[in-house]
Amino acid sequence: MESQGHVHTGYKQYFMTWLWLLLMTVVALIIGYFHFLPEGIKAVLLVSITLAKIFLIGSIFMHLRTERINLVMLTFSPLLLSIVLFFFTFGETLGTNPTHQIQNQSPLFVMPTGEVKEH
Amino acid sequence: MESTSLAEQERVLASDWGGGKSPFGTSWSKFMMWIFIISDALTFAGFLIAYGFMRRVAPAWPEQMEVFSPVLITFMTFVLISSSAVMAMAVSAARGGDPKSATKFLGLTILGGAIFLGCQAYEWWHFISEGATLTKNPWGVPQFSAAFFVITGFHGFHVFSGLTILAIVALRATMGKYSGDSVENAGLYWHFVDVVWVFVFAFFYLL
Repeated sequence: MESQGHVHTGYKQYFMTWLWLLLMTVVALIIGYFHFLPEGIKAVLLVSITLAKIFLIGSIFMHLRTERINLVMLTFSPLLLSIVLFFFTFGETLGTNPTHQIQNQSPLFVMPTGEVKEH
Repeated sequence: MESTSLAEQERVLASDWGGGKSPFGTSWSKFMMWIFIISDALTFAGFLIAYGFMRRVAPAWPEQMEVFSPVLITFMTFVLISSSAVMAMAVSAARGGDPKSATKFLGLTILGGAIFLGCQAYEWWHFISEGATLTKNPWGVPQFSAAFFVITGFHGFHVFSGLTILAIVALRATMGKYSGDSVENAGLYWHFVDVVWVFVFAFFYLL
């Protein structure tokens, strides 16, 4: 059982974490709502802020900071798998990017033999 | 055939993974909750990756901040983050042997979750009344409303289940039948719901 003093230090830390989370939410909102940044930079900043928020919630609120490294490493598995999945599917989207496609026209495929085929 | 030496076998048995020990250093219930959270995180990862894929292959995408109210989304995020912070305090109070404060904080967490669900119900009602369904919407991008309903619907259902779990834990706390572990496990689930929302907030509404 923790002493009363320890509990109150905990409250203060949770309060500070809450303030940081709110601050990061406001920054993310400004970046997302006002279109003053190029899309790429906006995406990188939003992903970074999201990860920073996740790390704060995980380490302080979910107590991962005080857990054993075995458990902490386990919690990274969904994040790693998401990154793998993202890059798998990202490649697939490149060919169908609307900026490379003419609407209402069946795309033609040029076979390696030089033969032209309709989709 | 002797593949491992006796010394090697002894070294493995003496390690954390040798059996009869707890390599993760947690109670079984907390470990089970973590396993559940990790598998649930994979579900949401699947949803968000699928959403990203659909969005990239869609010919156009509506301006989310014109379709949804930025004020409402910000308020919902504020409420959920606050309820998460209060939940952390509830765990702290429960571990510190202060059931009165724990119940009070649990009540505040439930209140936050209920407000969040109310806002989400309003958002859904508004979106549906504008003509959005799972397969079509006035903006002409079916994937847009499909992603919205599936992702926020699954998240909303998690909030609802979280509220149910928290209500049970709070009720048991008022009867004096609770343990630090049970409050902490419910808390872990609640923080996870918050974590998912942080992703949805950034990727669905802001990006």
